[in-house]
Amino acid sequence: MVGTPVLFIAIPLMAAFLIPLLGMIWKELVRIVPGLVLTYLLILSINLLDHVLAHGPIVEVIAGWGPPIGINLVFSALSGFLVVLMEFLGLLVWAYSYRFKRNVDYEPALKYFLMLMMLITGSVGIVLTGDIFNMFVFIEITSISAYGLTAFYKGRNSAEASFKYVMMGSVASTFLLLAIMIIYAQLGTLNMADIANKIHLMNPTLKIVSYIFFVTALGIEAEIFPLNGWAPDAYAEAPGPVGAAFAGIVVKAAVYAIIRYTYTIFDLSGTFNFLIIIGMITLIIAETAAIRQEKLKRMLAYSSIGQMGLVMVAFGFGTEEGVFAALFLMLNHAIIKSLLFFSGSYLTYNSTDKKISEVNGMSKFLPITSLLFALGAFAIVGLPPFAGFWSKLAVMTAAADSNMILIMALVLIVSVVELVYYLRVVNRVYFYKKEADVKPKRPTVNALIVMITLGAIILLVGFYPDAVTGLLHKASAGLMDKTQYIHNVLSVR
Amino acid sequence: MKKVLVILLLAVLGYYTAVTFFDIGFGQPHFVAGVKPVKDIYLAKTVKPLTVSNAVTSIVVNFRGFDTLGEVTVLFLAVTVLGSVLYKKRHAVGERSVLFNASSIVTAGSKLLFPAIILLGAYVFIHGHLSPGGGFQGGVIIATGFLLMLLAYENYSVSHTALSIVESLAGITFAGVGLLGFMHGGTFLQNFLPAGVLNNLFSGGIIPIIYIAVGFKVAAELTGVIYTVLNEKGESNG
Repeated sequence: MVGTPVLFIAIPLMAAFLIPLLGMIWKELVRIVPGLVLTYLLILSINLLDHVLAHGPIVEVIAGWGPPIGINLVFSALSGFLVVLMEFLGLLVWAYSYRFKRNVDYEPALKYFLMLMMLITGSVGIVLTGDIFNMFVFIEITSISAYGLTAFYKGRNSAEASFKYVMMGSVASTFLLLAIMIIYAQLGTLNMADIANKIHLMNPTLKIVSYIFFVTALGIEAEIFPLNGWAPDAYAEAPGPVGAAFAGIVVKAAVYAIIRYTYTIFDLSGTFNFLIIIGMITLIIAETAAIRQEKLKRMLAYSSIGQMGLVMVAFGFGTEEGVFAALFLMLNHAIIKSLLFFSGSYLTYNSTDKKISEVNGMSKFLPITSLLFALGAFAIVGLPPFAGFWSKLAVMTAAADSNMILIMALVLIVSVVELVYYLRVVNRVYFYKKEADVKPKRPTVNALIVMITLGAIILLVGFYPDAVTGLLHKASAGLMDKTQYIHNVLSVR
Repeated sequence: MKKVLVILLLAVLGYYTAVTFFDIGFGQPHFVAGVKPVKDIYLAKTVKPLTVSNAVTSIVVNFRGFDTLGEVTVLFLAVTVLGSVLYKKRHAVGERSVLFNASSIVTAGSKLLFPAIILLGAYVFIHGHLSPGGGFQGGVIIATGFLLMLLAYENYSVSHTALSIVESLAGITFAGVGLLGFMHGGTFLQNFLPAGVLNNLFSGGIIPIIYIAVGFKVAAELTGVIYTVLNEKGESNG
C-alpha cells in the first residue's frame, strides 16, 4: 500500500502551516505548493481506491486507540469515490485560478490558496471520518473557509453574502453540536459504527430530535429548502471558481453526511419518505426560481440547488438502484456544474452585474468557451449522448422500480423547465448580436485546459458510462450494507 | 402578523427543545442502560498507560488529539479569513487607527504587569498536563498581555512577520509530531516518547510538546487578530 487515509488531512494541514514561511522565500511558492499537494493527494486517492475495490475498506485508527475510544477514518468504495472526485475538482479549481488571481496582491493570493486548500481538506475530512464529533470539526473547517472565499477581495455585496452565510452557518453548527450532545448523553460514544450498533437502545423521542437537528444543520450546507437562503447570494458574489468548488465539493460533502446519518447511523422509519418530500420541494421551488433569474450565476446557483433536491429524492427511494442513481447524479452534477461555472464566469467576465442579457453574441468572440458552456447546458438538462442523460435515466429506472410514477413525471417536467432556462442562455450566446459596450475577455491557457478536460470527461461518461458505473455500483452496495460497515469498523483493534 | 407567527413558531420550537434537553439531565450519569460509555475508559487510561494527571488534557490532546489539530486549524483559518476580509481596509504597517488615551498609571503599570502575564501564560501551557489549563488558555493569557501593551502605548507594534513565523512553526510542530508518531507507532499522533512518572513535569509523552506548540500558536494568532482589527480603517479617516 502506498499511503493511508490520514495523509489526506495531515499533508494539507502541514502545507497550510508551511506556506506562509515558503512565501517569504519565494512568493510564487504560495501558488505552486497547493497544486503540488492536491496532485499528490489525487494520485494517492486513486491508488487507495484501487486497493479498496480489490481488498475491501481501509479503517485507520488515530493516536493508537481503536474504535470506539479513539477517532478513526474509513476509506470505503463510497468515501473513496467522493475523495477522488473532490481532489480532482480541487486540482481543477486550483489550475483554473492559478493565473486568474495574477492581478491580486501577494497577501490576498496567499490567503485565497490557503482557504481553497482547507475547503477541500475539510470536505474530504467530512467524507473520511468515522466519528460524529470529528465530522463537526471538519464541517467547521469547511464552512469557515467557505465564508472567507465568499467575501474574497471584493466589495460590499460579497461581504453581505458572506455575512448571511456566516449567520446560517453558525445556526448549523449549534444544531449539530446539540444533536451530538443528545447522542453522547444517551449512548456514551461518538463513533459512528458504535452508535449505529447501539441506536436501538436509545429513547425514541430523543432519537427523532437528534435526527431532526442533524438534518437541519447539514441541510443548511447541503442547500435543502427552506435552509438555502444563503446559497444564491454566496454563489453570485463569490469568484467564479469558488462557485464551482461550492457546487462540486462542499455540497457533496454535506449530502454525504446526511445520507450517512440516514442510512447507517439512525434506524428510524419514515426517514426515506422524508428525504423524498424535502427533495421534491427543493427541486420544484429551485427550478421555478431559476427561470426568473436575471443574473447568470444566480441561475446556476438555483439550478445547483434543484439538482441537490433531485439527489435527495433519489436517495429517498431507499433501494440500491436509488443510491446508484443518486451517486451518478452527484458525479455528473460535480463535473457539469463546475464546467458551467468556469465557462459562465468568462462569458460575463467584464460586466459588473453579471446579467444573462450581457452574454449576447459571445460565441463569435469566445468560440471554445461558448461551445463548452453549451455542452454543459445540454449535459445537465440530460440530453443524450452527454453524461447527464445516464444519471437522469438511472433516476427514472430507480423510480419505476419503486413504483413511484409521480416522481418519474416530476423529473420529466423539471427537465423541460431546465431546458427552457438553459436554452435561453445558449440562444443568447449563439443567435443574438453582441452589444457594443460589452468587452469579452479571452480565457487564460490554464482555464482553457481545465474547461476542455471537463468537457472531455462529460463526453467520455456520456459515450462510455461503463467507465464509472462499476465503481458506483460497488459504492452503493457498500452504503446499503450497514452491518458490514459496523463490523469493519468495530473489528479493528 | 408575520412577526407574531415567527415568535409563535420559535416559542413552540424552543419549548420542545427545552423539554428534550431537560429530559437528558446533565451532570449525572444518564446513559442508557447496557452501554459502556467511553468516559470510563478515558478516565482509566489517563493514569495508565498515559500517566497524565489532568484528564481533560489527556482527552483533548491524546484520545481526541485529531479534533484538537482540527480546532487549531479552525483558529488559524479564522485569522486568515479575518485578514483577507479586512485586507482592503487596512493601513500601511505600523499605522494605527484605533488609539487610546492612556494615563501614566496605565503605561507604567502595564510595563510591570506584562512580563508577569507572559510568565503566567507560559506556566499555564507548560503545566497543561499537570494542572487545570493548557495550550488554549495559556495562549489566550499571553495574547491579553499584548493587548494590554497595545492599549497602553500608541507606538507599540508587533512584527507581523514574526507572528506569522511563530504561528507557522507551532503548527508545523503539532502536525510534525503527529507524523513522527505515524512513522514510529504506525498511527497518526501516536505517543512515541516514554510516559515518565505521574505528576512530573516530563511526563505524558508527546502531550506537553503538543500543548506548548498550541500555546505559542494560539498566542500568536490572537495577537494577530487584535493587531488586524486595530489597523482597520474607520469610516471617518478611511
